[in-house]
Amino acid sequence: MKFHWFHGMPWPHLPPDFRDRSNSVWVDVDSRYYDPIVGHRLYHEYLDQMEYAEQVGFDGLIVNEHHQNAVGLMPSPQLMAAALARRTTRAAIIMLGTSLPLYNPPTRLAEELAMLDVLSGGRLVAGLPVGTTMDACFAYGANPATIRDRYREHHDLVMRALSEPEPFAWNGEFSKLRYVNIWPRPIQQPIPVWIPGGGSAETWDFCAEMGYSYSCLSFDGRFHAEEVLDAYWSRLAELAVPFNPYQGAVNQTFAVAETDAEARERYDPHLHYNWYVGKHLDPRWANAPGYTSERTMRESGAATQAPPTPEPSFDERIASGTLIAGSPESVTEQVEDLVKRLRVGHLIGVFQFGDMPTELTNRNTRLFAEHVIPRLRHLWGEYVDHWSPTPLNRPEAIGRDQTESKTSEQAETLELAGIN
Amino acid sequence: MAELKTLDLRPGGQTAHVWEGGDPASSALLFLHPVTGIPRWGDALEALAKDFHVIAPYQPGWGPAKDDLPGVRDGLDLVLFNVDLLGTLGVDSAHVVGISIGAWIGAEIAAIRPDAVQSLTLVNPLGLWSENHPGEDLFAQHPGHPTAVLFSDPDKRAELLMEGRDALDAYVEELLDLRASAKFLWPIPDTGVGRRLMRIDTRTLVATSANDNIVAKEMGDIWRAAIPGAQSVELADSGHLADLEAPEALSNLVRDFTLSGA
Repeated sequence: MKFHWFHGMPWPHLPPDFRDRSNSVWVDVDSRYYDPIVGHRLYHEYLDQMEYAEQVGFDGLIVNEHHQNAVGLMPSPQLMAAALARRTTRAAIIMLGTSLPLYNPPTRLAEELAMLDVLSGGRLVAGLPVGTTMDACFAYGANPATIRDRYREHHDLVMRALSEPEPFAWNGEFSKLRYVNIWPRPIQQPIPVWIPGGGSAETWDFCAEMGYSYSCLSFDGRFHAEEVLDAYWSRLAELAVPFNPYQGAVNQTFAVAETDAEARERYDPHLHYNWYVGKHLDPRWANAPGYTSERTMRESGAATQAPPTPEPSFDERIASGTLIAGSPESVTEQVEDLVKRLRVGHLIGVFQFGDMPTELTNRNTRLFAEHVIPRLRHLWGEYVDHWSPTPLNRPEAIGRDQTESKTSEQAETLELAGIN
Repeated sequence: MAELKTLDLRPGGQTAHVWEGGDPASSALLFLHPVTGIPRWGDALEALAKDFHVIAPYQPGWGPAKDDLPGVRDGLDLVLFNVDLLGTLGVDSAHVVGISIGAWIGAEIAAIRPDAVQSLTLVNPLGLWSENHPGEDLFAQHPGHPTAVLFSDPDKRAELLMEGRDALDAYVEELLDLRASAKFLWPIPDTGVGRRLMRIDTRTLVATSANDNIVAKEMGDIWRAAIPGAQSVELADSGHLADLEAPEALSNLVRDFTLSGA
């Protein structure tokens, strides 16, 4: 079983009356809430949190791409991945993802993936989503009527650019390049690909066709994710793809403390912030016409004007599965249940949310790494993970040597987590 | 009475889904639908069919032609589709009436194939952009009622566009019609037709609707000024979809303008 550490990089300083003062957290959010001086410190804190996650035993560090968004400060996941590549040595660097249709020419993305794979010593996972309608269509102007065709063409071009040793010409509908011949070339052939998505049938078929791993990125909770993943695994079975839990991933928010009571007390304010600002999305940005295929529209039914939902309580979050919280024992039990029900080999943990400070984030991370990972590491041991990177072995790989710099406490944690 | 026909335009070319009504011996009128397509053979078309041989095709990508969208990339492809359709029907030239996105297509036909256009009526035309008069964003709408903004009163959507149709079908078709529109108008409805409007030498009328949230009436002035000799007029009591909201006023306006020049 693999455990990964996801950062959303939210802006933690929005005012308590943000919803009254701003139309939406995404697309047209008021840029004057951002303070670049504070942002300077924040980026370093957030990267420190990710480096800490590697030190205590997480398998992968996950960055992502959002635009014009106050709760996602990574317009370029490649920049964050580059920073992590220099300051980490072991963990996979997982871009989940970089929005494939938005790069022009798409070979720019192929080059950056190759650069990151070389820089990190072969630790890259390329997550290749279409991008949300807010990011791709409204912020970046991608045409929703053609974005899926563009995605497919960019995919084919990028994959060929990463693997084809000879220069080639690309005469596509969206890109015309007379000479494709990228430098540098990646260490991994191929770089593992994960496809993040909500629950569209086309995405599952694409994963089956290409042999990619599907990441169910749902913030509606694990019970909803269970329905999605059930449908995904069924679809793979229909398409005669042999079951392997590592061909699936799911995200989950965690709040780990010494006791259940402490978890509630310490994390609740940050869950509130996360909900209050993160869910403040103008529905006008939610569905550019054409972004959702006819097949998915028909399967998901007509949109309705649902009234805004009230904020769930701490207990309601747990009951709905959007949160796994409590003591390490309680969390271990819930994670084991989740992993077995959803049958996934990659768990994407969210340990920082809302305005949670570094001290609490690191505590959340450490308790999970020390107490939960070691007890569940053995799960799915009978399967081979084809979707994690195959990094260089030493002495070829260079970088900060953690075997010398880590403290004895960290060494013990790593050992507990099953990492030498 | 009208008939919905399916025609193959030319070997290896496209298939047209076209409403045809009125007396084939009358003057031909090519009706170019708005962003919402042609939900039915409605009152506006019925009224026009009293005086004209009405030819009202679904543009590739709309309605029953929803799967034909990949076959058209730009305005030139749409011009060729309509010109091929007239040719297939044996019509040398027609009065061209375009609403909304259809007005853009009509203007392109008149600029590129002036011989095929006897007169041009552009109603609530999309295709030019002015920062001073941007109008509402046609594509940034609540997913529960994505075309309500096109009506002078949002409640009219249920009555004029959705009534009598299966709810899921109507919703999916509504979004697919908008998808087709987005192919040509996303993210800013500037199609480049502004560079070609000075080529139009046919009689042209530009009409704007008083309660159109998408196309400001000032845009009518910009279109009129760009087309040599064009006239302009305002349609009262209608939103963007004048064919649905003001069928009588629209058909009267078209008849009066078109026949006055005959």
